[in-house]
Amino acid sequence: MTPGQIRLLSLTRREVTRFLKIKRQTIGAPLLETFLYMSVFGAALGSRIDTLHGFDYVVFIVPGLMMMGWAMNAFSNNSSSILQQKFQRAIDEQLSSPASPLELLVAFSLGGFLRGMLVSALTFAAAVALVDVGVAHVFVLVPALLLVGTFFSQLGVLVGVRAEQFDDVSFYQTFVLTPLIFLGGVFYSASLLPEPFRTLTKLDPVYYMIDLVRYGVLGYSETNIGLSLAFLFAAAAGLVAVNYRLFASGYRLRA
Amino acid sequence: MMICMRPQSVPEPLRAVDDSGAPALRVTDLAKRYPTGTEALKGVTLEIDSGEFFGLLGPNGAGKSTLIHCVTGLARPTSGDVRVFGHDAVHRYREARLAVGLAPQDLNLDWFLTVAETLDYHGGYFGMARKDRRERAQELLETFGLVAKKDDRTRTLSGGMKRRLVLARALMHRPRLLILDEPTAGVDVELRLELWHYVQRINGEGTTILLTTHYLEEAEQLCSRIAFIADGQIVAEGSGRELADRYGVASLEDAYLELVGRNELSRARIAAEVS
Repeated sequence: MTPGQIRLLSLTRREVTRFLKIKRQTIGAPLLETFLYMSVFGAALGSRIDTLHGFDYVVFIVPGLMMMGWAMNAFSNNSSSILQQKFQRAIDEQLSSPASPLELLVAFSLGGFLRGMLVSALTFAAAVALVDVGVAHVFVLVPALLLVGTFFSQLGVLVGVRAEQFDDVSFYQTFVLTPLIFLGGVFYSASLLPEPFRTLTKLDPVYYMIDLVRYGVLGYSETNIGLSLAFLFAAAAGLVAVNYRLFASGYRLRA
Repeated sequence: MMICMRPQSVPEPLRAVDDSGAPALRVTDLAKRYPTGTEALKGVTLEIDSGEFFGLLGPNGAGKSTLIHCVTGLARPTSGDVRVFGHDAVHRYREARLAVGLAPQDLNLDWFLTVAETLDYHGGYFGMARKDRRERAQELLETFGLVAKKDDRTRTLSGGMKRRLVLARALMHRPRLLILDEPTAGVDVELRLELWHYVQRINGEGTTILLTTHYLEEAEQLCSRIAFIADGQIVAEGSGRELADRYGVASLEDAYLELVGRNELSRARIAAEVS
């Protein structure tokens, strides 16, 4: 391995080690949440709903739960990890190492990305074990989830770098991310909503992300898949570019 | 718990670069203005030769930490040039940072890591191969009396143990320029003396050392050359004796008190007044 590869691997290992050392909080809690959602919404509420677009209700919500698990965990991991290290000034060790801005950005991004991937994969595995669900379009599902993971891990990095206190992180999580995800149609189909809620849902970017994952898993979609993928790619690439500039300039990282 | 005086192993490739004859640190017209408008450094020019034990003294807020941060990449200079063994430390910083080890004033250890992991990850950040990291970490754990604590999380360590680990971490990648930012602040006498002996030892083996401290006897005993920094500028430079002569006083401490405008605190003066 080259020194650059060792450096990148070590920086990434640090991020993965962090969330694995507190796995009850970082892996256990999201899985419990998913289990509760499936129990409450799927079993309890779903028993009163016949089918949604031809799918059992509990099956219909699985793709949204997978997407939500990846998004929330990618975001919260990266924003918290960076802010914590800024608080402790432990981040100075990485910043004064020979690591380039790109190496730092990739490593900080991958922590949340991999945590989100793990939660999402475990959610899917649990769903496969509990209900009758498979994968309809793997070549849409995989890029869609990878782009969702990239987008939210980059968003977490952006908020973590900008944040000066923990309230800054929890504000975005509580008042921006959670409402956007819940109102994006994790638990319902926007096409069944009355106006103006149907149109309002379509203004929520997360709606298109959930729809992509739902198409990949169930084969059901309410949007243009190609266009959604293109916009998601552009948004994720845009965030990578913004974050790279932040790391290169040292914004709120270097004095 | 003693710090063992085991010779520091320096890999051949690093020694080879040392032949360039460039100073360990050359700072030219370095200025740093913070976004708040504070001018922390106002055109600092400084040169530290390879193998020197150099002291940087000055009151709080004089610019010592800002200067160190500019050398290590933790602060972005507004203007000026920083070179470590001839390598640009600001724009093309990779070689420069490989050559520098920083033991900061703050015990900025990663709470999620154990003692052994702290050293291993640090080596990784500096591109050391796994086998080399393991050997070097074991060597430093033994040297700093941390073997029994190697699996403990860093946040559970005592202040003295944390200080040892911060110093061990700074040495992990075998830096040729070691920067010690107030390394003995808040440590007991025993550990302070151990640290003094250890850094003298590695300086004798060729590691250049830049020390900032508020303990003047520490600087006087350890440093071959000292600079006073005040209000973002280097105002005097020389050996302890030369600085005392320059200010027309008997000791380095009195010279420092002249620098900060508090010569009424001079021990000699107080003793004369008492008698």
